[in-house]
Amino acid sequence: MIFSFVVKRLGFIKSIPLTALIFDSGLKLWLFISKSEKLDWFDDLEEEILNWNGVTISLHKFGGTQFNYGKHEIGHLHSNGILDILFDKKTKAELIATGKAKAHHVFNNSGWISFYIEKKDDLPDAISLLRMRYDKIVSKTMITSKALLQEFPIFDATL
Amino acid sequence: MISEEFKSNKLLGFLIPNIVVLAIVGVNKALNSDSSGVLVYSQFVILPILLGIISAWFWRDLALKTKTILGYSLINSFIAILLSYVFLREGVICLIIVSPLIFVFVITGAFIGKMMFKKKNQTLNVSIVSLLLIAFISDSISDHNYENMVADEIVINASPAKIWKNVVAFEKIEQPNNYWLFKIGMPSPMATTVTDYKLGAGRKCIFSNGYVFDEKIVTFDVNKDLTFDIVAQPQDPEIMGHIDIQRGQFLLKDNGNGTTTLTGNSWYKLKVFPIWYYDVWAESITRNVHLRVMDHIKELSEK
Repeated sequence: MIFSFVVKRLGFIKSIPLTALIFDSGLKLWLFISKSEKLDWFDDLEEEILNWNGVTISLHKFGGTQFNYGKHEIGHLHSNGILDILFDKKTKAELIATGKAKAHHVFNNSGWISFYIEKKDDLPDAISLLRMRYDKIVSKTMITSKALLQEFPIFDATL
Repeated sequence: MISEEFKSNKLLGFLIPNIVVLAIVGVNKALNSDSSGVLVYSQFVILPILLGIISAWFWRDLALKTKTILGYSLINSFIAILLSYVFLREGVICLIIVSPLIFVFVITGAFIGKMMFKKKNQTLNVSIVSLLLIAFISDSISDHNYENMVADEIVINASPAKIWKNVVAFEKIEQPNNYWLFKIGMPSPMATTVTDYKLGAGRKCIFSNGYVFDEKIVTFDVNKDLTFDIVAQPQDPEIMGHIDIQRGQFLLKDNGNGTTTLTGNSWYKLKVFPIWYYDVWAESITRNVHLRVMDHIKELSEK
């Protein structure tokens, strides 16, 4: 509830450097006091995603852990357990229709979806959503690379 | 062997960051000796973040779980608070007030550091370090000035003439304290004395621990307006060392129905930053000083 209020009503403060990260630390501290097992689930999720080829993590600009493949964001996990992933609008509509995700907690009209990790059993579904996005990014990257090689075969020799 | 290295790095993650931050505070204090105790963003925000980042560097290979990082960061925060008490001579209540900020900023630093030093993410996030450095230097050398006024009012079932003498000076307050900071030891107002009932007279506001605020009456409009400037205040290591109360005022308004509205105003200069955090506390403390005095005036006047 506090998260929703801050994100929707006090969203402007995220433009102040570090504010979003500090807010996210507050969420972590609150979880540490109130439901610390959730932090272990998030660690498990992070460990699983980091095992995928080419995945790195960074801090998300609005707070939380961001999963990346190269320069592409796969998704990000806020410290209260909200997992946000960007899909195309068609995929988003399908995921919402089948109950696998919800509309993004702020950007309703975009391709972003939100998934709420509330219990340990939610982890496989969260991982599966991230995998969907990961596979799309990887295949798109491979297609782009192949197209580049066809157009500029000189890259093949240099690579 | 691994266990010993683990223990050693874990320990260094507590020791070195606290020593570094304490050294920075010491050097900064020595270089800015004219800042007369002003504590700014850099001390409360940037240094705890830096403390967290340095600790994360020592813990980078220990594969710590999030819960453990949080626990260690809390321990680090307590060490920093303890060192502030011992070396910076900060008061206990001041440290209680500042502790939530320290906890959150040290944790933020630890997780920023975790990402910076993650093995799969070799690119050192220079932008964050640069941002902290620029903010620290610019904040340390920039001018900090913040003044505020807090106003409170109560209705008293007595005429202004009956209330006036109790406003100028009053006997010892006997009521128990209700405000939690007063209960845990923060000095609360106890009595007020006056050298004379006239303009320019000296007034003393005596606090529960014996501290005295010396005041001078600058407006003496009988039954209407008593304004006094604070000419000397105790430099206590507690919160009072970080706030200058500049002026106080009591305004009396006859409501025409046998009651009087008593307004208490205080002007203060805050010497701790960030304002968005400390002014909440300053307002709350000032308000409770007002209410303790004004409730006492009400009780005396309605007898």
